[in-house]
Amino acid sequence: MSPTTAAATAARSARFTSDDNLAQNRDTYKNAYLIDTDPKPIEPFDKDWGVAISGNTPEPSPFERINKILAITAKTTNGFVAPDAAELVTQAYREHSGEPALLKRAYAVGKILDEAPVYIFPHELVVGCLCCDKKGAPVFPEFGFNWVVNEMRDGLMGYSEKRTHDYFTYTPETQERLEKLRDFWDGNTVEDMTRSMLTDDVIKGSHDGKGVFFADAYIFCGAGHLGLEFERLLKLGLGGIRAEITRYESELSISDPADIEKRAFYKAAGIVADAAQRHVNRYAELAEEMARGESDGVRAEELRRIAANCRWISRNPPRTFWEAIQLVNIAVDLVYIECNGHSVCYGRFDQYMYPFYKRDVETGASTREQMQELIENFFIKVWDLNKLRNHILIRTFGNGGIGGPALTVGGITRDGGDGTNELTFMTLDAHAHIRIPCPWLAVRMHANTPWELKIKVANLIRMGTGEPKIFNDDVAIPSMLTSNVELHDARDYQVVGCVEPDPSGKAYGWKDCGHMNIARVLELAVNDGRCYNCGEGCPRWERCGKVGGRLGLATGSLADFTSFDQVLDAYDKQMEYWCDRQIALLNTVDLVHRKMYPLPLLSTFMDGCVESGKDVTAGGAKYNFSGPQGVGIGTAGDGLATIKQLVFDEKRVTGRELLDAVTANWEGYESLYAYVNSDRVHHYGNDDDYADMLAKFAMDTWCKHVERRPNAHGGFFQPGAYSVTVNVAHGQNQWASIDGRKAFEPVSDCMGAVHTKCSSHDVRGPLAICKSVTKLDHARATNGTLLNWKFSPGALAGDVGRENFIALIEEYIHRKGMHSQFTVANQETLLAAQRDPDEYKDLLVRVAGYSAYFVELNRALQDDIIGRTSLSFD
Amino acid sequence: MLHTTPSGEPCGLVSNIQKYTIHDGPGIRTEVFFTGCPLRCLWCSNPETMAPYRRIGVYPDKCISLQKCGYCVKACPLGESGPLRFDEDGILASASPSERCAGCARCTDECPSRALKLWGERMTVPELMKVIVEDRNFYRRTGGGVTLSGGEVMLQWEFADMLLRACRDASVNTCVESALHCAPEHMEAVYEHADLVIADIKHMDTNKHREYTGAGNELILDNLRRTARLGKKLVIRTPVVFGYNGDEENIRRTARFICDDLGGGIIQYQLLPYRKMGTEKYDSLGIPYPMSDYEPPERAEWEARLLRLRDMLALEYGLPAVAGSSGKLEPGGGRGDASR
Repeated sequence: MSPTTAAATAARSARFTSDDNLAQNRDTYKNAYLIDTDPKPIEPFDKDWGVAISGNTPEPSPFERINKILAITAKTTNGFVAPDAAELVTQAYREHSGEPALLKRAYAVGKILDEAPVYIFPHELVVGCLCCDKKGAPVFPEFGFNWVVNEMRDGLMGYSEKRTHDYFTYTPETQERLEKLRDFWDGNTVEDMTRSMLTDDVIKGSHDGKGVFFADAYIFCGAGHLGLEFERLLKLGLGGIRAEITRYESELSISDPADIEKRAFYKAAGIVADAAQRHVNRYAELAEEMARGESDGVRAEELRRIAANCRWISRNPPRTFWEAIQLVNIAVDLVYIECNGHSVCYGRFDQYMYPFYKRDVETGASTREQMQELIENFFIKVWDLNKLRNHILIRTFGNGGIGGPALTVGGITRDGGDGTNELTFMTLDAHAHIRIPCPWLAVRMHANTPWELKIKVANLIRMGTGEPKIFNDDVAIPSMLTSNVELHDARDYQVVGCVEPDPSGKAYGWKDCGHMNIARVLELAVNDGRCYNCGEGCPRWERCGKVGGRLGLATGSLADFTSFDQVLDAYDKQMEYWCDRQIALLNTVDLVHRKMYPLPLLSTFMDGCVESGKDVTAGGAKYNFSGPQGVGIGTAGDGLATIKQLVFDEKRVTGRELLDAVTANWEGYESLYAYVNSDRVHHYGNDDDYADMLAKFAMDTWCKHVERRPNAHGGFFQPGAYSVTVNVAHGQNQWASIDGRKAFEPVSDCMGAVHTKCSSHDVRGPLAICKSVTKLDHARATNGTLLNWKFSPGALAGDVGRENFIALIEEYIHRKGMHSQFTVANQETLLAAQRDPDEYKDLLVRVAGYSAYFVELNRALQDDIIGRTSLSFD
Repeated sequence: MLHTTPSGEPCGLVSNIQKYTIHDGPGIRTEVFFTGCPLRCLWCSNPETMAPYRRIGVYPDKCISLQKCGYCVKACPLGESGPLRFDEDGILASASPSERCAGCARCTDECPSRALKLWGERMTVPELMKVIVEDRNFYRRTGGGVTLSGGEVMLQWEFADMLLRACRDASVNTCVESALHCAPEHMEAVYEHADLVIADIKHMDTNKHREYTGAGNELILDNLRRTARLGKKLVIRTPVVFGYNGDEENIRRTARFICDDLGGGIIQYQLLPYRKMGTEKYDSLGIPYPMSDYEPPERAEWEARLLRLRDMLALEYGLPAVAGSSGKLEPGGGRGDASR
């Protein structure tokens, strides 16, 4: 730090301490003394990294080791296919063909953990991998296998014009090895059984039909979107968990049929728990072997420490920060190896790690700098993980990598206080020091969040990498209470995946299991159950439109409605019809998971399963949910507002004319198209109750038909209100719409306003957005909500920009908005990056739910991000 | 000049209401731009606020065409003989004000694509207050409020006074941004309910001032002295246009004026960088942009020059000088931060 910068920083700190705002905070907030605490985090709380510089800084970390690791870390989610696990699973299934699925799974996972290769990478202090090299993606043939070998055969897995991002390379040998497994798995996977159980009445609206709803995440992938119970893991250690399994098993009756079933679970859990311990020891052995061959004495000593750490935690609870972070990292890897899901999350990192941090500082076992370095090392390791996805899924989920590895800091503690501590700050600094989009950081805030943390978060956000997201305890916690979550568990929630609040390590929540395009539901509602573009071009034409059929429920036509209430009623009935079908599909997949894909290893890490003797897929966890989300709230809301205003209130057009205009994709209706897209029509996002209340109705109706419906693992459904990036894919499936959208344009994203090719419908700035969005019922969307903000850098520059930005966040929290994410970028930068991708390889942007390298996204998604209204005033 | 609505109620002529402004006064503010200005600054970026009457702006890019739409002509009481002119493709070309056009603005009401934009809405105090109080929570959180700007607020001093009174009654902090080229008694009337005043010193040489703005600076400097004597909280601004008023000598003269004639007790002295803005609004009004040939220095250079001037003001004159308008203003109007 130069003397001038040091002086400036000192001056700023001095000013902050005398600030009126802070003085007030100090009276109110017991944790507001962070700047005076000892020990101090290694960076000042108000460290400013600049505005909109994104990832474009060479060697961002103060640690040489971290910069060296960054130098050998590919800034991409492209990867390669790793075939070892698939072969081992196949062998295990052959050897144990007559045994229940639970045991087959246990033997298969055990075999991978014992026999698949393990790696320790250069410079690292924390080890673990998915039994393959960096960016390798294991294959899970049990889930669905034909698509893997078919895509390899058809050239859809690797790079091609059809797959320009998120592609996976493979050697001819890999392809050959996997082809050999094809016959064994053909017809015997989760995907195969699911398809056999579905009827056309369910499929017709799905991703395999007309795309009213998607529900593919858990068909092609395993369960994820959950966390481990880290506190228990760190307290008991792997050995302690093994001992619990033995203890519960020993208490079973020999003849009770329920206990006979439980015995199978404990047997499976024991097999994987033993294998997990042996697996961690394999790292110890590898590290010792590498240490013997290491010529650099310092590195050799590090490897010996790694070996000692792994040896210890394979049996015992961790004693130091280093051992604890090692166990956390490897435990999540273990679950990924078993589950084939994405978004296995890291929980409330600053809470469960704090006792280790505090003890190390007190005993001198490690310095804050060493712990900071470990956190950064651990973060980069999360980015190294990867997951195989088919060429369709990557369209809706670009640059996702392993997908959804969220990590939560801040927020209210189990007993109701504020949990902010030094680690909260160090965790956020770690992101600024590495600037790669992993893990997906969530900061929990509430009315009493310390002011210093807000400064830290604002500085991080305006840096422009899109991290972190902000969650609001003041609505997320009450929302969880409505789902029967106990108060202290609700306060202890983590954020999983892109959006979802989750009782950490206690819930098998099936978050993000599907999404409903509620704008498409409006189309079918006002067009008597038919698509606007019904005709010969449709693959279902022969059995649907041609024979007088219709895709949805006959709910009448806008051409005939005589009052707006009839429109609302039609939408309500149509929504119920489609929710029935989506839930049918999701529950079918859920049943198949339970039958074919139990998760004994995950079960040992979750609250409730070992106690109850039930696998998570069978409802063993303490809480059980399924969470699909509604997409297109703005599009549906503006559609309703347009109908109400133009057809019924002003009678400017007839219902027939409006239907004709959208059916014609607005061709020949240019003036109406312009009018509908102008600020003459009430639009959601402008603090205008006329439109905002209709967006609320659109969302509430979705929630009403989803919430509390029973699911197949002993719990119930929770509605979400967000799209992440799937609004683009839903739009590509949808003809024009009444809100002024032309065919195939994206529908509105998350809780955002409509932006069509013609205009952005929100025209009154960020305060109006804040107020409109918070008129929606966030607490009711128990599976989470999301608002994507996009700011031009000038809006956040300087002290003035930052303070007003914080005020905006505070007001959003005050008004019970649940969740915000932020893009801070120049429009010009994004356009330049499209033109010249090689120059912008480090440009991180917020997609929705996560940050991604902009140049690795597909064009449609890039355009969607560029099109979001930029909030600016200079 | 007090405007009235067709029904005879007093109203303001307002060209724009900008929400979430953060650079014209402390905190988050709603800015109300008044229409009509006695000055004609060469660098003005709000040409729509110059004339003290309603203006129609034309944006041909947005026009759908006479054949496909034509709502504007249908709405015009004068029909095809009205002020609207179209090119050979039927795209709107201009809206020349003519004696026959009574400025009813029905064409702008009907235009579906906003190719016709009305500058200068008649708005009453209750109508404006409805918009202003929408963001009250944000004002409270940040010490923000309302800023009246323009155009020239003092031209509509009676209405400004009524609006500011209403803001005070609603506990909304008030700020007036003015060029102060006005009668002192109008200024004082407006000041009664204004918490903060932002005023420009565009040039200290009255001849140069006349050349660049169309009027000498004597009245403005007198009004500034009067403002200081009244003890009004005052922010001074100079829109720095290098080659016009950005020379060291002029800034030093300005500094001496602030120190000697105003007693130095201002809250902040802001050096605002010139940016070529508002050209599309000039085009829409058919007014040539006066500085179209002006090439400002490279960004790095003007930034450096601006910072040098700021340091000079701070170190040699002890003034709370800032470059740009992002320096924090204390909500209470206390002395701001001069370090940035």
